[in-house]
Amino acid sequence: MEETSDHPNPTTSTPGTTPELDPKTMRSSKPGLKRLLITTTVLFSFLSGLPFLWKSVEIYRSQLPFHDIDSLSDQIKSTPLRFPCTFHAVFIGFGSNDPDQLRSEIQDGVNQLTGGSSQCGSCNVSISVTVQSPDELCSETFPSTCSYRCGVIKRDSFGGGLDDEVDESLDDVFGGCSGGIGKMYSVVVVNKEKGNGGGDEVKAVVGKRRHAWIVGSGLEERYGEVVGRVSEVFVNVFMNGGREEGDSIRGEFMPVGSDGRLVLSFSLLNSNPRDWIYDWDFQRIDEGLLAPVTKALAPIADISVESQVLYHTPKSSFSSWDEKLQSYIFRTSDLPFFVNSNEWHLDTSAGASGRSKILQFVVYIPSGKECPLHLQLPNGEISKTNGFISPMWGSVIVWNPRNCDKDSESPSRNMISPQDLEQIVEVFLGQFRQLFGFKSEAIYTSELGSYKILPSERGFTEWELDVLSRKHTCFNLHSCATTLGSLSRLVQSLPRMIIKDEIGEQVKYSLKAAKLAQSNASLGGYSSSASSSREARSLAENAFFHPSIMSVSYFSYEHCFAVYSPFFLPVAGHVVLAALREWKRYKQEKAKYLTWLTRKKTA
Amino acid sequence: MARTVLTWWIPLLILQSFLLAIAFGSNEVEEEFSESLLLKPLPDRKVLAHFHFENRAPPSNSHGRHHHLFPKAISQLVQKFRVKEMELSFTQGRWNHEHWGGFDSLSSMNAKPVGVELWAVFDVPHSQVDTSWKNLTHALSGLFCASINFLESSTSYAAPTWGFGRSADKLRYGSLPREAVCTENLTPWLKLLPCRDKDGISALMNRPSVYRGFYHSQRLHLSMVDSGEEGLGSGMLLEQSLTVVLQPDTVYDGKDLQPSWSLSSLFGRKVVGKCVLAKSSNVYLQMEGLAHQALWKNEEFELSTQPDRILRENSSFLYIFNIDKSSDSEPFDLGLTWKLPSKWSCQQAPLHASRFLMGSGNERGAIAILLKATESQDKLSGRDLTNGGRCTIRANVFQIFPWYVKVYYHTLQIFVDQQQNTSGEVLKKINVSPSTDKMSSGMMEMMLELPCEVKSAAISIEYDKGFLHIDEYPPDANQGFDIPSALISFPDHHASLDFKEELSTLPLLSKFKDKSLVRSYTEVLLVPLTTPDFSMPYNVITITCTVFALYFGSLLNALRRRIGEEERFLKSKAGKKTGGLKQLLSRFTAKIRGRPAESPSSESTAAAQSSVLSSKLLFKIILVAGVAATWQYFSTDK
Repeated sequence: MEETSDHPNPTTSTPGTTPELDPKTMRSSKPGLKRLLITTTVLFSFLSGLPFLWKSVEIYRSQLPFHDIDSLSDQIKSTPLRFPCTFHAVFIGFGSNDPDQLRSEIQDGVNQLTGGSSQCGSCNVSISVTVQSPDELCSETFPSTCSYRCGVIKRDSFGGGLDDEVDESLDDVFGGCSGGIGKMYSVVVVNKEKGNGGGDEVKAVVGKRRHAWIVGSGLEERYGEVVGRVSEVFVNVFMNGGREEGDSIRGEFMPVGSDGRLVLSFSLLNSNPRDWIYDWDFQRIDEGLLAPVTKALAPIADISVESQVLYHTPKSSFSSWDEKLQSYIFRTSDLPFFVNSNEWHLDTSAGASGRSKILQFVVYIPSGKECPLHLQLPNGEISKTNGFISPMWGSVIVWNPRNCDKDSESPSRNMISPQDLEQIVEVFLGQFRQLFGFKSEAIYTSELGSYKILPSERGFTEWELDVLSRKHTCFNLHSCATTLGSLSRLVQSLPRMIIKDEIGEQVKYSLKAAKLAQSNASLGGYSSSASSSREARSLAENAFFHPSIMSVSYFSYEHCFAVYSPFFLPVAGHVVLAALREWKRYKQEKAKYLTWLTRKKTA
Repeated sequence: MARTVLTWWIPLLILQSFLLAIAFGSNEVEEEFSESLLLKPLPDRKVLAHFHFENRAPPSNSHGRHHHLFPKAISQLVQKFRVKEMELSFTQGRWNHEHWGGFDSLSSMNAKPVGVELWAVFDVPHSQVDTSWKNLTHALSGLFCASINFLESSTSYAAPTWGFGRSADKLRYGSLPREAVCTENLTPWLKLLPCRDKDGISALMNRPSVYRGFYHSQRLHLSMVDSGEEGLGSGMLLEQSLTVVLQPDTVYDGKDLQPSWSLSSLFGRKVVGKCVLAKSSNVYLQMEGLAHQALWKNEEFELSTQPDRILRENSSFLYIFNIDKSSDSEPFDLGLTWKLPSKWSCQQAPLHASRFLMGSGNERGAIAILLKATESQDKLSGRDLTNGGRCTIRANVFQIFPWYVKVYYHTLQIFVDQQQNTSGEVLKKINVSPSTDKMSSGMMEMMLELPCEVKSAAISIEYDKGFLHIDEYPPDANQGFDIPSALISFPDHHASLDFKEELSTLPLLSKFKDKSLVRSYTEVLLVPLTTPDFSMPYNVITITCTVFALYFGSLLNALRRRIGEEERFLKSKAGKKTGGLKQLLSRFTAKIRGRPAESPSSESTAAAQSSVLSSKLLFKIILVAGVAATWQYFSTDK
């Protein structure tokens, strides 16, 4: 390598005219570029290699539609989901009322009751009114949503038979009403002629389908009250399911697993089989009584039923003998300790895979030492059902054998009699309704009066199922949006996490299903929106709990740094410093050369 | 959060119509449960206790959904994974074939290999058998609090064809020799019993006394019983057994008597009544090798309780006790008191099998299985005399090799009476499925036909030790790797207790009456493999990177070196010699600044130089500190 930039001495090429050359500040030759070129080439190749390195350590991340997720959760938060509902009021035997006026009054009542708030899963109300005068002439609001044939309901003969028959006949009357979009609910108000006996009493019944009727005499005079009651039936019963406003179950208390499945696990606990053994024929109960319920709830949850009999399962709280009641007593304050999780091996079911929800229904048969075992309510009375629920876990019923005398020698296996089983199942259904947030009473009372609610043999009436569908859709969409939101936050906060294509697809499909549920809801498809919202939620949960997300060791920055820094840090130091120095030196030498040139010029 | 219910809601009109339907007295067969305990003094002063529980579910379509006695969890498992037959055993300790017997139903069914053994037959299409197996291992792992899920990987199980003694083409077999067995496995096992350990015979299972024993093996065997009817599911039979070998606490009295014991001295508990759910509940005492008449009080020994029935078998007596009568006030506590020294021996399998490793080093070795003739051999009956009049003993050997033990099957050697046997006389049949690296384990099934007068037979096979990937080592890699037990079974020999009486009401005895294949498991082998230094990858990275960096740096330095300039610099420095200290300083600064500093011509320049130097040095230090701080900031902020 021949040195070119620095000549040892000033050259002798131009001896005469050369000015004096100071080797410290000047030089006579041009500074060379060779070393600078070499170092900069190395530096540049180094820099150009960086993108390749970056590419090679890059991890696979499927693109998640972050924007769509955000817009979905914004949308769900800002505009609560509402379903179209059609309310149809039929006034029979009202002579002088104008339907349009009635409609606006009912509308006012409805608005007042809803309080203008638009809860998620509530109704987008449209109201129509038909008035049938005593001489069977009808006037309707326009547009008429339903083809109520004038004069079908007779003023005098209405409500003669059993309530169930009335309900059936009303279903025939309104059978032709598909009601456009959404579900159609109707209230029939019958103004009876006075003097038929019965006095002033007003009877209000809510049927099993989507009909209610109010029968009384002299209603025309008190029509303001009647209108109030009609709007109350619409809002409090048909729209909110007869629940108190503050009492309404929140989303977390929807006892359905995130994959849309629900397992009802029934256990019969013989706390001490040495005293007596009871068994049950649950299969018949399942086939006969529970199958209609599970079928009715099919759009909301995929329900399966299991049963088992367990032995040697004492409760873990104590009970005390009450002389007055002649029985052993446990109080409501004991309830948190009643369930003995050590000895009650109720077991999670292998049938409940993944994230299904299991509701435990337990029938507890006390041992001989605590035989008539009763639950005392805080007011000192004995509970009629002798049972309690624990939200999201299930319920317990204490069932006492008929007589508490121990079987003499060896206990034989008794069967619980069908009558007792029937009672137990009734209580179960009541508790099941409570777990879903409904009341177990058949009466709904408000300030304006009470309503009899006809129970359905399927456990849930049609309008209750509608309420459930609405709430459930809303809850599912909400949960789906929350889950996807958490997922997107998580993914964005961990830039080195591997995200598989499956997760991306699940998120995509979940969003698609959520969109579908929303559009179905706005079209009034209750069960279709419930099922697609279920799908959306389950897909979102699947994406969030995907095993690859759970893995702890992803290729972190720390790891990357630890692997590459032993090579790249020292080398980068060399290369960058060398390039810098050469550049500096080149500038310095060039300045020297320039001063030499100027000196030469001036000379 | 519990709320009381005030249910006035009495709807359900339809109920009435079902009331009639819910009729009783349905003549279906019910689920049945029975319990029994077999006690047996062993010749080596120990006592064997064998608990046996049987749970039967009749054919039904509601299996997995509605159960009364049969455990729902097991039933759901069967329904979900379509299991046809399954056996799971948890064992600690080794069965002593010489002293505890090798030719009876008890040992052939309950002498199990150490750790966990699982085999299952499925009722699914061939393509789904492996998936079902994997899912089953996971479910069982959760059910029994054990790491059975390690059997999921295809390197840990095999599909035996005929060597296992049970020919089924949808059979999978796997074992985990290193699984530690303790109470956390027993408790879920007990949960499957209707009385758990609250009542009945199972109440004897006092954990400290059970786990103090020399051997304990808990077993769960599930089989489907075909109903034969169309449209009806099959019935299920679940057998659970716990076999323990205990040492009674005795003081040595110098008379060489067998130790006397009672249930309370063995277990620390007494039986205070049967499990009320059991259909039959019996305790059996089996006395072997007694010459005396079957009295429960004789000059040799005395029982504390009078047996309800005495059965005589070929060489043993069976005392049957019914524990129905026992109660809290009158507990059942069977005791055995020896009065005279007594000696007897157990019936033994035709050949005693043991297995060991040969060779040394971390590279290769050999596995040998040694079959030794036992003393009781000539008393045996099950010989095959059809083979041209020659008397032969047939033995099947079934062995699984993990893939990292790379077996060379051509090195298989068979020695009969220490003579190498190369002809096909001895080895009648062999089936080998070689292992694939990290994919599947190897399996070897052999059928040997040995002459009856054989003294010993040995099989040896050589192997190379494989290298594992660094991720594949278990946490304690230096301990070594276990090779699962080999199974030696004797297809011509069947063990059974030969009773004359009809015993269908006693499930345990009727089971013993059935013929069972004589089989024995060998020891587990521990193979040490080369274990790497687990910090090696980072060491390698660091050292290679350092070498590369050094090379790169010096190359770059060499490229931009100016030799002429440096020489001039040195010459000029030699010209003006300055103080030693100053020179040293200038050299040092030159080194730090990385380029030849101009030689200090005067004091002033040197001072200027040093001030420049110190400011630059300071700047560099600050720069490095700043880089470190920002790095720290960015790395911890995440």
